[in-house]
Formats: sequence, structure tokens, C-alpha cells
Amino acid sequence: MPMTDNSAGKTGAATEGVRARDRLALLTADNAAVPLPAGVQAITAILLAVLLIALPWLGLGYRFLSIAITTLYTAIGLYGLGLQFGQAGIMSVGHAALMGVGAYASAILSVQLGLGFWTSLPFAMALSAIVGGVIGLPTLRVGGQHYIIITFCFCALFVIVLTNGGTFTGSATGLDVGSVTPLPGINFDKLSNNYYLVLAALFLALAATYLIGNSRYGRTLRAIRENEQLARSVGINVDLHKLGVLMVSGLFAGLAGVLQLYYLRHISPTLFGAFPSLYLALMVMLGGARYLYGPLIGAVVVNFLPEVLNLDPVDSRIAYGVCLLLVILLLPGGVGAGIKNVYCAVRGGFEKQGGGTNGRA
Amino acid sequence: MRQLGLGLAMAAAGLAMALQTARADEELPIGVIAAQSGSFVSAGNTIVGAANLAAQQINDAGGIKVGDKTYKIKLYIRDNRTDVNVTIAAARELVNDIGVKAIWGTETHDFSVSMAKITGPAKVLQFSGNSSLGAVLDDKAVAEDGWLHYTFQSEPQEWQRSGSTAKGVLSLLTPQLKSPPKHSVVFVGNDATGQYLSSHYVKALEAEGQKVDLVQYPPDTTDFSPLLTRIKGMKPDIVHFWYNGDSTLTAFPQALKLGVAPSYFLFGVDPGIYRERSLKADVPVTMSCVPVCWGSSPYPEVKQYFDKYFGLGAAKGPQSSVSLLYYDYFFWYAKALEKVGKIDDPDAVVAELLKSDYKGVVSPVPLVFNKHHQVTFATEVCMVEPNTSDKFKCAVEQPPAAPPPGDNGG
Repeated sequence: MPMTDNSAGKTGAATEGVRARDRLALLTADNAAVPLPAGVQAITAILLAVLLIALPWLGLGYRFLSIAITTLYTAIGLYGLGLQFGQAGIMSVGHAALMGVGAYASAILSVQLGLGFWTSLPFAMALSAIVGGVIGLPTLRVGGQHYIIITFCFCALFVIVLTNGGTFTGSATGLDVGSVTPLPGINFDKLSNNYYLVLAALFLALAATYLIGNSRYGRTLRAIRENEQLARSVGINVDLHKLGVLMVSGLFAGLAGVLQLYYLRHISPTLFGAFPSLYLALMVMLGGARYLYGPLIGAVVVNFLPEVLNLDPVDSRIAYGVCLLLVILLLPGGVGAGIKNVYCAVRGGFEKQGGGTNGRA
Repeated sequence: MRQLGLGLAMAAAGLAMALQTARADEELPIGVIAAQSGSFVSAGNTIVGAANLAAQQINDAGGIKVGDKTYKIKLYIRDNRTDVNVTIAAARELVNDIGVKAIWGTETHDFSVSMAKITGPAKVLQFSGNSSLGAVLDDKAVAEDGWLHYTFQSEPQEWQRSGSTAKGVLSLLTPQLKSPPKHSVVFVGNDATGQYLSSHYVKALEAEGQKVDLVQYPPDTTDFSPLLTRIKGMKPDIVHFWYNGDSTLTAFPQALKLGVAPSYFLFGVDPGIYRERSLKADVPVTMSCVPVCWGSSPYPEVKQYFDKYFGLGAAKGPQSSVSLLYYDYFFWYAKALEKVGKIDDPDAVVAELLKSDYKGVVSPVPLVFNKHHQVTFATEVCMVEPNTSDKFKCAVEQPPAAPPPGDNGG
């Protein structure tokens, strides 16, 4: 029966709106969003930065440093995937293709127009962002597994186009580029300088992820992730934000792709196919998409595990599968969540011993 | 006085022994990067097998005499896990951490090209078997300041191999068919190597008067029946299963079931594998090896080589013969080092390799590098009698003198 009292109706609608906002606030306040104490965050960031900066000086050899570079540029791509999956809840299994868009854009600009690393970089990133947005258009109508299938199809299509693209894409043989254009006094042919270049990009990716995660924009994305209908009902432009985060993710992927190109100095379609994409999805789930260091942890685990344990590719895949199962069962938020839980448990134990009042504001 | 004399004699003997030991300890570090695991393992293992055999034989024969020193080869073998990132890391390690003088490998074009960007600036010689390197080995790349100056392709130029193979296939099949074959279909994997190889092979067949259709299949295909049915509809005289041998072994039985063509050619399938798998066809089937077959070689030195190669524990696979693309070059490199008299002068070694020749196992004609660091030798083609698995007839047709019309030779 329709209500006849207009004022009562308005009050009711207003109350519903407030309830919806409260629910939304509760939903977005998940465990991952509960921050660690500022001191712990700062110490972790400083220790990590010092470790990463000091790595070339530890005498671990060129092999180690080479794998470290691979890990870092992979992590940059993962930060994009982490944003779209961890913050907005949009999973992709075609992310390597987005990296490929950046890498190929840069390589084609180099081969066709003679543009170097620095000049082609913004164009490549922009193109990856645009392509990310275009692939994201279906997310406005479909979500979940449907979108995942779309990204997989994009990945397959991308490889087919590259493989049959003639001299423009280098076909299956691929394209070659020169070294990164040197900056005054810095030659990037030197492996340690190349490492610092990729590390600088990683720091940018980390900073951007941190800022987005702790901004109003990040909270909006989490609201969409948790309950899209509810977010829409409180006036959030869900479509715009979804496309926005996919474009940001594309920017990260483009940056990672260009860094990968100039590290390998030769690319071919197989680098951006289904398997590399699945590995990226695996890494982000292993590390924990919702945690700041989750993508980096995922990249480290997957790139260094075969090296440390001397696993062949078959054993590696088995190991990754087992790790993923263990993470899903025991650490649903990924290894990043596990580390945080261990820290909280240890801290809680100390607090109990000390009367439970220390260390909390 | 006698005691002093005895002491001096003993000291001299000790010094001589120490010098002898020091001389025996001189080692020549050589790297091998190959897939010992992952999807390219069957090709990768052949590089390692060839390197082990060659190094053992050179060392057993006393090593390499360079100047007044004798060097024993010390191999540093790295598994690239069929992963370009691991290949790069391994190349960095071998070049920068270990300081190898030369690297053998890898088995794929992409990996070899990325590796050459590390070996080139470090002036480390690289011997790679990929014929697709021909696409990048040009005047500029191999010049003294070029990025491929230190890279050598240990396989013939693809137009030469394709020409030699096409002639061999047609010479063996033509007498077996009711009328001379006119229509060929080339069935090939659509990846970097497949695209490159087939582009030359199609031209080679056309130069022999064939009308050629090219049908490509996606890499990792296992069910070939839809494409094979399409090929059957084209009514070819010969279906050429071009690259790669592993996929061919899956596709060929499917083609036989479907009765796709009155004759076949299987690239990279050794007669030894055909025999061991007891494959049989009621139509004539030819097969080629890269470069000489281990299963039915007419040359005693090749048979001797494969007896030793398999004797070291190498697996008998469709690509075992690929090991020959790496074996001879160890001896050639050793010969060049001895001639130059220094191991630390890569430019002189490159110059010596380019002006010298070497008669090894891979070819009855001495090997010579051309100005683009490529060699020339023929490919062996064998035909198995219908309804048998072990009755082979083989032919070795020399490569053409020039690329066929439409083939730029690259």
C-alpha cells in the first residue's frame, strides 16, 4: 500500500540512505584496510627500501640480479592487477596481454619512428591504459567469471594478431630494440643501473598504490567491490570508476611492459600469451591483492622459488598449485595477509603479557 | 755436497711436478645454455649431450694447446627451463660471474637473440643452431661493431636447407607415385620458427615446380583432424609436415587414419624414431633429419658419432640428430684458438673462424662460415618402404647455389 504522508516518506528515504551508507562503511572496512601502526608501516617501508637499494651491493651475482629485475617489473604489472582485483574486485587472466600492448607499442615506435625508451614510454603507457579501458567496457554489463573469460579471449586474440601482424609486429619472430637511452652519467647497459631504473618504477607503483588505497577513490573502489548495487544506490558512478581503475591498471601494465622490453631487448608474442597471464593472476593471489606488499611478495615467490629450490617447470607448476591451495585454505588474503596476521598475533601475545594496554592508542 | 745435490734434484723435480700440475689445471671455461626441463627439453638435451661428448673427447685427447699452455675444457651447463628470463639470467651469470669464453645454445630463436645482446658487448662467442638467426645476421649486425659480431649460426641458411630437403623429398617420392607430384601442402606450426622455416620451404618447393598451399596450425595443437580434413579436400600429392618433429609425430598418425594424401614428408623425424615407434603407412613416407639421421646413416663417421653420443646416456629422440649442429663447432673453435695462440682475443678468434674451414661429422664437405657467420651443408632425406618400419632408402641432395626466386635469402 502506498504511503500517503509525504513527509514521512521523505524521512523514511533519508533513513534508508543513512543505513545504506553505514552498511557501505562497514563493508569497506575489511581486515586489509585496518592499518598497522604508523611506526610499523614506516619501519617496514624503510627496511624494504634499504634492502632493495642495497641488493646490487650484496655481491649476490649477476644471475640473482637478473632475476631480481624480472621480479621487479613483474611486480609493477601486478600492482595494476592488484588495484583492479584487490580494490575493485575485477579479476583478469589476460593481464600479460596488457603488458604486451605497452611493450609492443614501445617497440613499434622504436622500429618505425626511432623513438627511444623515454619518449616512447608515455605513449606506450597511455595506449595500455586506453586498451585496458576498452577491454573493461564489458564489465559494465557482465562481471565475475564472464569478464575473466573476456580477458582470456583478449589475451588469445592479441597473440594471434601479433603472430600474424607481418613486419609491423615482427610476426612470431618478434621485434628488437636497442638499450635504454642513457641519462647524463648513467648508462643503463650496466645491469645494476638497469636494476635501479626498474626499482625506481617499482617505488612509483608502490607509492601510487598506497595513495590510491588510502584515498577517497580507494574507498569508493572497495565499496564497488563489496556491493556494487549498494554503491550505485548511494550515488557512486560505478561504471566510471570501474573503467577508471582498469585504465589505471593499464598504465601500470604499460610501464611494466616497456621495462620488460628494454630489459630483454627482444620481444615475441609468446611472452604475452595465456600462460604468462595465468602466472600473473597466480602471483597476485599468492601474495595478496589487498595488501600493499602482496603483489611484490607474489612476484618474489614465483620468480625465486624455482631458483632457490632448483625446480624444473613441471615441479614449479606443481609447487605453485600446492601453494595456491594452501593459501586459499589457510591464508585467504594471501601471504601478505598471513604475515600481517602473524605480526598481530605476536603483538597480541606481548600485549597480554604486559597487561594488554601497551602499544595501542 | 751429495746431500745438497740430492736436495736440489728433489726440489727441481718438485718444481717440475708443480709446473706440470699448474699446466694441467689450466681450464677453458665454456658455457652451455639449454632447456633441460620445460617444453623445449628434447631439443635442449641434444645441446648438452653434444657439448659433453665434444668436451670429453677434446680433454681426453690432451686438451687444447694454446701458445705454450694446454687448456682443458670446463663446461658450465645451465638449464634455461624453457624460460627467456632464466636464459638471460644464466647468460649474465656465465658471462659476468664466471667469465666463460664462449657459449653454446640456445635451442630457440627468441632466447638466442636475447642472449646475443649480452654475449655481444662482452665479446663472448656464441654458437646457436637456430636457422632463423638468418633473419638478423646481416652485414650491419655482424660487422666489427655489430651486435652479432661474436654470434655464429651452426645450421645452414634456411634457403639452403629447404632447397636440399625439397630436392631430396621429390627425388625419392617421384618414382613411387603414379604420376610426378605437382601439388604440395606444407603443414606447419604457426610460431616464430615455423613461420620462418616455411617461408623458405614453400619457395624451395615452388622452385622445383610444385604448386604449394600453406596450412598453419596453432602451437600446442593436439587434434589436427579438422585441419587435416581441410587439406584432404585440397587433393595434394604430398603433405609436408614441416616443423616441428614432436607435433608431426602427433599429427602424422591422424593423417594416416584420414587418408589425407598419397605420400608424406615428415621434417625432423628420424628413421630411428620411425622404427622404434613401429610406425607404418601404406603409402610412401619420406623424412629428414637436422642435419644427418641417427637411425639410418650411410656414413660410418656419423654412425660412430651417434654410438658414442647415445653411449653417454643421451636419449634417443626425434631431435637427437640436432646435437650435430653443436658438436663439430667445439673442435672448430678449439682449432681456431690453437691457431690464434691466445684465449683472450675474441676478435682474432672470430677472424680465424671466418677464414678457416673444418671437416667434421656433420658434413663430408669441410664446413666454412660465410660473411654472415653461417655454414653450408646438405640435409639427409630418407624414405621408408610402404608397410614397413625399418626399410629405408636415403638421399643427400646438395643445397642450391642461390636462393630460389622470391626468397630474399635472409
